[in-house]
Amino acid sequence: MKTRVWIIILSLAVLVCAVWWMLVSTPSYPSKIVGIYQNGSLVEKIDLNSVTGEREITLSGKFGKNTIFISHGHIEMKSAECPDKICVKHGALESSGTPIVCLPNKVVIKFESSSDGADAKTGAV
Amino acid sequence: MKTRNLILTAILTAFALVAFTIEAAIPPLTPIYGIKLGIANVFTLFALYALGTRYAAALLFLRIVLGSIFTGQTVAFIYSLTGGLLSFVLMVLLKRFFPLKQIWVLSALCAVTHNIGQLLAAVFMTSTVQIVCYLPVLLISGIISGAFTGLCAQLVYIRLKKWLENHLN
Repeated sequence: MKTRVWIIILSLAVLVCAVWWMLVSTPSYPSKIVGIYQNGSLVEKIDLNSVTGEREITLSGKFGKNTIFISHGHIEMKSAECPDKICVKHGALESSGTPIVCLPNKVVIKFESSSDGADAKTGAV
Repeated sequence: MKTRNLILTAILTAFALVAFTIEAAIPPLTPIYGIKLGIANVFTLFALYALGTRYAAALLFLRIVLGSIFTGQTVAFIYSLTGGLLSFVLMVLLKRFFPLKQIWVLSALCAVTHNIGQLLAAVFMTSTVQIVCYLPVLLISGIISGAFTGLCAQLVYIRLKKWLENHLN
């Protein structure tokens, strides 16, 4: 076969693969599944993307009550009766940031690792 | 087995190892494992044309084993070996269909086979089928890098052909 034919075949293959790759890697919405833990055990698991409207969860611990505020794509510790209120000052939970922790009442709010295999794909090879 | 052939194989193996080690030291451009230039392939191709199948196979095997030891990537050894052997078999089988001016096409096909072999090994090793979604990227990178390394081998071999024929055999 002529060299020119090969060039055409290979460039076509590159093109097809590029289109294929674009189809495969269409951006999927990152899941925002958040877990709320108290004393190390799961209290509730919420997908922040599927939350409509606003909601509050109140947990009570040794040092009083913690109020968690949830709206679409957003979760924060609204108020706490513990002495330091570090969890309230933390603000909203960011996907790249640290989990919200209330040490006195042993409450932790953090992102759950997504279960759609995204981690397996990027981490395995 | 002629001494000159043996020495040339040894030198080419050393060259391939140096290229492989330097390339392994360069931080990867993409987070996807398996996308790289594969400069060491130039020497395998060159040996295949200049010295023949047996010497090229020896070079490839030594390069993969020693390269894994030198770079300390023992996990990559399995992937390298699977991809390397698969592409080498294809290289030997298809060699007769390609004239000297089309070594780069042969190399591109082999690089693609190499990446497919690597990916299959990865699927088998990690038992996650999802990795296959990297296939299109690996095919593109295989075609481009394979064509490039093939072109290198082709240009060098065509220039050295006369000299090789006089001094080997």
